[in-house]
Amino acid sequence: MTDDKDVLRDVWFGRIPTCFTLYQDEITEREADPYYLLLPRISYLTLVTDKVKKHFQKVMRQEDVSEIWFEYEGSPLKWHYPIGLLFDLHASNTALPWNITVHFKNFPEKDLLHCHSKDVIEAHFMACIKEADALKHKSQVINEMQKKDHKQLWMGLQNDKFEQFWAINRKLMEYIPEDSGFRYIPFRIYQATTERPFIQKLFRPVAPGGQLHTLGDLLKEVCPTAITPEDCEKTIQVMIHGIEPMLETPIQWLSEHMSYPDNFLHISIIPRPTD
Amino acid sequence: MARPVYGGRHFRPSCPRSSMAEVQEQRQLLPSPPLSPQDGGQGEGGEDAPETGSSEGGAEPPPPTAGSPGTEEPAGDAKKKIDVLLKAVGDTPIMKTKKWTVERTRTIQGLIDFIKKFLKLTASEQLFIYVNQSFAPSPDQEVGTLYECFGSDGKLVLHYCKSQAWG
Repeated sequence: MTDDKDVLRDVWFGRIPTCFTLYQDEITEREADPYYLLLPRISYLTLVTDKVKKHFQKVMRQEDVSEIWFEYEGSPLKWHYPIGLLFDLHASNTALPWNITVHFKNFPEKDLLHCHSKDVIEAHFMACIKEADALKHKSQVINEMQKKDHKQLWMGLQNDKFEQFWAINRKLMEYIPEDSGFRYIPFRIYQATTERPFIQKLFRPVAPGGQLHTLGDLLKEVCPTAITPEDCEKTIQVMIHGIEPMLETPIQWLSEHMSYPDNFLHISIIPRPTD
Repeated sequence: MARPVYGGRHFRPSCPRSSMAEVQEQRQLLPSPPLSPQDGGQGEGGEDAPETGSSEGGAEPPPPTAGSPGTEEPAGDAKKKIDVLLKAVGDTPIMKTKKWTVERTRTIQGLIDFIKKFLKLTASEQLFIYVNQSFAPSPDQEVGTLYECFGSDGKLVLHYCKSQAWG
């Protein structure tokens, strides 16, 4: 299964070249240069932008700086969504680098959660993992782990340590062979065009007859508008980690290999570019 | 605190959700939401007559309860509202009315704000909400989604606590 392990690495090490520019109305003592950074797809904005913050704070007065937040083309970016999801959903068909605007004022309370410390990110990350395991294993696997194992998942993400993370995460990807898969698949489907935050429902990876459900089966069940009839022109893209997996891919395999570190499959439904 | 063992539970099979008609502008951090208490009789341990939602100044009176016992709404997806059962953890004050009918799009933050007002907690006091006694959903999570995935026996059971109960 060497190829499958490669997928885990490709997912983990995916990066998005990003250009951070300070919002024009922020008060600076001198001109702020843009800051370029390769963002890990699997991480969270507030976890990986300490350097961005420092860079812009150097040209600002302390009193003009409060909580940092990020925006793309007028939309505040939710730091608690993985970076790769934000990019796929908002900017995947635009030219690189991804241009993000940095703000230090007027925090949009209605759109964003606060992130006063790394502890908040850790709590959110662990809550997602626990929710995912509640769906996959009725929480049995996560509950059997010790606190230090939970900590190792977080440290692996925070320090970009693939081996450290997967030493523990592999247990969350196991299931008893008789079952052929998890109890339910942890997934969320996002569409830029609707106001609904995301679709998340119960979905079994295996049919009663034993056949593996596919990505296409999932979409048909929970998001039928994403399925284009055979002879019609495809107007949408179903994207995970910047690629369009074949709809015939078993959802169990996708869950094991293309979930984010939070153990969820975050799937973007976006308009297909027309050029 | 010992981690409670999660017992087996019957999950409702997934059903396609009917499309949402109107979209709320303010999705996440809503002001004190009007929740509808369910009509009495089903409460635990001899309830008094359920209060009509938040009675604090500034809060709106809740809309009339959608259904009363005996006139059940169609099950599952067609309902715009779901049933929530709130359970206190540890020495957190117990809500006199535990059963509520809540709009699917209500967020966890909205629920937290409501419970805090109901229990007359101060703004600085924290309140944590847990699903399945195992995870704390994000404040912007909609209760409808949680109900779809973690509801049982026609309701979503949520535990609330002034301190972190399950990490």
